[in-house]
Amino acid sequence: MIDLFEVARRFREAGVDFVIVGGIAIRSHGGNYITEDLDICYSRTRANLKRIAEVLLPLNPRPRDFPENLPYHFDWTTLQQGTNFTFVTSMGDIDLLGEVKGIGNYDDLVDQSISVDLEGYPTYILSIPALMVAKRAAGRPKDEAGLKVLAALKEAYDD
Amino acid sequence: MKRTPREKLLNPAPGSKIAEARDFGVDLTQLAENLRYSPAERIKRNDAAANSMVKFEEAMRRAKARDKIKAR
Repeated sequence: MIDLFEVARRFREAGVDFVIVGGIAIRSHGGNYITEDLDICYSRTRANLKRIAEVLLPLNPRPRDFPENLPYHFDWTTLQQGTNFTFVTSMGDIDLLGEVKGIGNYDDLVDQSISVDLEGYPTYILSIPALMVAKRAAGRPKDEAGLKVLAALKEAYDD
Repeated sequence: MKRTPREKLLNPAPGSKIAEARDFGVDLTQLAENLRYSPAERIKRNDAAANSMVKFEEAMRRAKARDKIKAR
């Protein structure tokens, strides 16, 4: 069962430092995009990696490209061994990004985010202009529709 | 008089980015509808829609598997 809202809530409850990017960020701003994964850019401090692992461990994370018949061990040190991860979990797919192309790392993203209330948990979501920068930097044809949606929402919100 | 974001989306000004999105094929009524909800509600509605899509895909797979069995 996909429950990306609950995953984001658990990250905040555990004190994880992260910014929501990607499809869920677009959706949070009002986009009509339906996505099955939660993309977050996270702080790579040791304490934060431990907090992320605490949240993910009960969700049985496995890399999306990892053979199902092989055992996979996950703990916080797994997150030390890479920067970007694409996990499948019992609550949906979760992508952890150490940095976002065109913008930078967690600290850079915080400056370009807005804080929204996820039912009592203030949570950073990448701003519409920053999402547009990231999508342009990614340069993927599939993002063209997303860019149109973001441009429309930006204009709608602008005074 | 200043227009609200929903009003702008439902009646885009000619030559605007909103009109451009509409001409590209973006359903502006969906965007306007989404603005009625809080960010938290929008994420929950995404989850519900994604779960519905998964159920639909599973039903399609089951139907295809049944068709294969019938065809044998």
